[in-house]
Amino acid sequence: MRILKLKRQNLFPFLQAISNGAELWGPIKKDNQTIFNFVPTEEIAKLNLNFTRTLLPPKKLFVPPSFIMFQVTNKGYQEDYSWIKERVLFGLHPCDLHGLLNLDRIFAQNFPDSYYVQARQKTLLLGLSCWPDDYCLCQSTHTDIIEEGFDLFFTDLEDYYLVWIGSSKGDDLIRLKPEFFEEGLNEKDIESYIKWRERRAQAFKTKINFVFMPDLMELKYNSPLWEKAGAACLACGSCSMVCPTCNCYNVRDEISLGNKPGRRVREWDSCTLLEYSLVAGGENFREKKSSRLKLWYTHKLQAFGSKFGKPSCVGCGRCLVTCPVGINVKSISDSLEGQKVDAFWVRFSEEVRP
Amino acid sequence: MKVENKSNQTNPFLPEPARIVRAYHLTQDVKFFQVRLVDMEKALSFRYRPGQFAMISVLGAGEAPFSISSTPSRPGLLEFCIRKVGTVTNALFRLKENSLIGLRGPYGNGFPIEAMEGKDVLIVVGGLGAAPLRSVLLYCLDNRDQFRRVIVLYGSKRPAEMIFREEYFDLKKRSDLECHLAVDADDTGTWTENIGVVTTLFPKVKEVDPANTYALVCGPPVMYKFVIKELIKLNIPKHQILMTLERRMKCGVGKCGHCAIDYIYTCLDGPVFTYWDVLHMRELI
Amino acid sequence: MGKIKIGIYELTGCAGDALLILDCESQLLDIFQAADIEAFLMAKSDNSHGPVDVALVEGSVTTEEEKEELLAIRDRAEIVIAIGNCACEGGIQAALTASENWSKEFRQVYQDLKLTNVKPIPSQPIDAFIKVDYYLPGCPIGQEQFLTTFTRLLAGHPPELYRFPVCMECKWRENDCLLNKNLACLGPLTKGGCGAVCPSHNLPCIGCWGPAEEANRSAEFKLLLEKGFDLESIKRRMAIYAGTTIVDFFNQLKKEKS
Repeated sequence: MRILKLKRQNLFPFLQAISNGAELWGPIKKDNQTIFNFVPTEEIAKLNLNFTRTLLPPKKLFVPPSFIMFQVTNKGYQEDYSWIKERVLFGLHPCDLHGLLNLDRIFAQNFPDSYYVQARQKTLLLGLSCWPDDYCLCQSTHTDIIEEGFDLFFTDLEDYYLVWIGSSKGDDLIRLKPEFFEEGLNEKDIESYIKWRERRAQAFKTKINFVFMPDLMELKYNSPLWEKAGAACLACGSCSMVCPTCNCYNVRDEISLGNKPGRRVREWDSCTLLEYSLVAGGENFREKKSSRLKLWYTHKLQAFGSKFGKPSCVGCGRCLVTCPVGINVKSISDSLEGQKVDAFWVRFSEEVRP
Repeated sequence: MKVENKSNQTNPFLPEPARIVRAYHLTQDVKFFQVRLVDMEKALSFRYRPGQFAMISVLGAGEAPFSISSTPSRPGLLEFCIRKVGTVTNALFRLKENSLIGLRGPYGNGFPIEAMEGKDVLIVVGGLGAAPLRSVLLYCLDNRDQFRRVIVLYGSKRPAEMIFREEYFDLKKRSDLECHLAVDADDTGTWTENIGVVTTLFPKVKEVDPANTYALVCGPPVMYKFVIKELIKLNIPKHQILMTLERRMKCGVGKCGHCAIDYIYTCLDGPVFTYWDVLHMRELI
Repeated sequence: MGKIKIGIYELTGCAGDALLILDCESQLLDIFQAADIEAFLMAKSDNSHGPVDVALVEGSVTTEEEKEELLAIRDRAEIVIAIGNCACEGGIQAALTASENWSKEFRQVYQDLKLTNVKPIPSQPIDAFIKVDYYLPGCPIGQEQFLTTFTRLLAGHPPELYRFPVCMECKWRENDCLLNKNLACLGPLTKGGCGAVCPSHNLPCIGCWGPAEEANRSAEFKLLLEKGFDLESIKRRMAIYAGTTIVDFFNQLKKEKS
């Protein structure tokens, strides 16, 4: 892989230069709130380089929460790709890039989803290194480093960035402003990168026993912990919305008044909702919240899709900061391991069934 | 991003225009549909396996999965037996012959026809389970020399609810096929066959060669437990007991997630599963 | 086939749902063109009492007379749709029913006033008296959900109603969770479809679309207690738009306490 150096002060001018003709998306703090979101911006100075995680993962650029798949007329179904644009997405941390690689396995293979594929192909992915907070689990899930899946990746070494070129398209971007980049790393640069990796590895405070989870999921399939978590689960769907690897969606047909075309709409869905496994005729294969949570965690901690084998959690920590009752990858993993867990759902279950 | 394209369609969700050629009631709430893709070339090249399903769209109402009841050995027309249960089926029932619908597929794994060749085929049907199993039954009849014994056990609630009743009575006349029928209760007073649930037909099946038998089961969820018990009694290996299952589906192609069972997708890895899968996956039935 | 016949009826409520239908300005002509509006007190004066294909009923039942009117509507309508929180759950006026002291509280307000033209009863959602085919929740209902329901009914298809809580759309709009910011947000307990307007403006959800299909009241209740809210204020907040559905939950709380 080609690795270059970029002086810190040249990052924004570089982003400015490459966002001509494409929409630049990056992490920006939401007004009056403490959260960050990936949004399109023309004001590069608004980009925040020190964010830990955005509220929604980058999947929303490739499968928007709600979008029109087809315009429907008497003549039939017309594909609608109008929402797909040329974009540059900056600020992807390794966990999010791993998340996209996971989604690629679902959406880009075996009957590739043309909406996802087109949106992916028209979006350049620019990664950015990060520093863990108390909720980051990516070291445990082995997704703290990324070696593929980006066009460019910027590792922040304070005075300058190491720029990893991951694709031919990424290389083209460099060629737009070659004067910003320095070829050839010296011994000192390599040394500081190694030091940075070591310091970062030490900085992870939260861990889960990820490699043990597939076995434990299997062994503790009938553990009372699922009933306990199910009793406290608000079935609000938030965990699925914020998870970078949750791919489920629903499809609805809408009809217009007058002679305007109707629409087939695709919307994010969650397996934690009651309606999820309901079939016509009224049979519901997962009436109990506990069985829905089990499915969610099967995908995160055991296996995701028959062909991929490995679980899909990328350790981004979003479920940890999102679930109001504390049902998340950390508390569930720890419970599966038999640890005493301090979470609302555990306290709730103790109150409900002492 | 690695894009792996197995299908010729660029948009896997795009319904292909199809016309309802014939539509008539089989029972009060089950209708038979004969459908042909409008594009004749596509209609003739629509390759599928018995046990696969298609997604059918009714303009404005929505889309739902339906197992194909016709056999690939008779190309051109696709057939479906559809029970009126929800939005899409209600809309389908109102459509007249010659109406346009949307169709895409085929999806799912289907029955392992190649493995079944040269073997005995025991088909156990309950109620509307006759829809997907009709495909494999017709396939076996059209390629009769490729299979050894073909046995059909079909149970339904009442005579009027037995779909393709006449077809099955005709089958009873054939010498190269064993066909046994049962109804839970006879409200017509004219029923000449067995009365009782489908498992009461098992004693009629003589001298089973279990190692060389494939058992195909489809029916209402309550039926499986009892039928499987009988099949196990006959010593049919677990991986040769095949069943086809129903789940909610919004895409049919492993994207929407609704048909997930543990870590597999019914639409990609099913809808045909073996009894071993069922024991292994826990959530199946 | 003739045009579909629609009647819009109002029982006890603020008429906000009827107003919202009138407020579909850009679509109003299309609506009137697509359907025969047989009855719509707010919009026209020549209202018929004849049979309709679809009856949209707003408001809760608070008098014997309304009960009779409602039964008559059911008799002449093919499909009955409850529109708005009052019709679906009983509305704010039903929050009192949970207190079990309806007659006492009624007297407190009206003293010994003799009502000659109506016989008041505790406020009830319309499904306490008749079979309701579909529910359009909201206070008021959402324009989008009304229009998609309307157009699907025109085409002869049952409406596809939102079956998720407010939190789903709240996340789509990329809002920080207000519950996690220690605000008494009822999003997880409340039917979605409103577009999470309040949380998007940093205002915690008050539940005006009524209880979600699977509202986990006891978990949210304990959660809010743990966050330091006092019992009575949580109960009040949960009761506002929950109508008669809250009674069972309050009884359950009482049982747990004793």
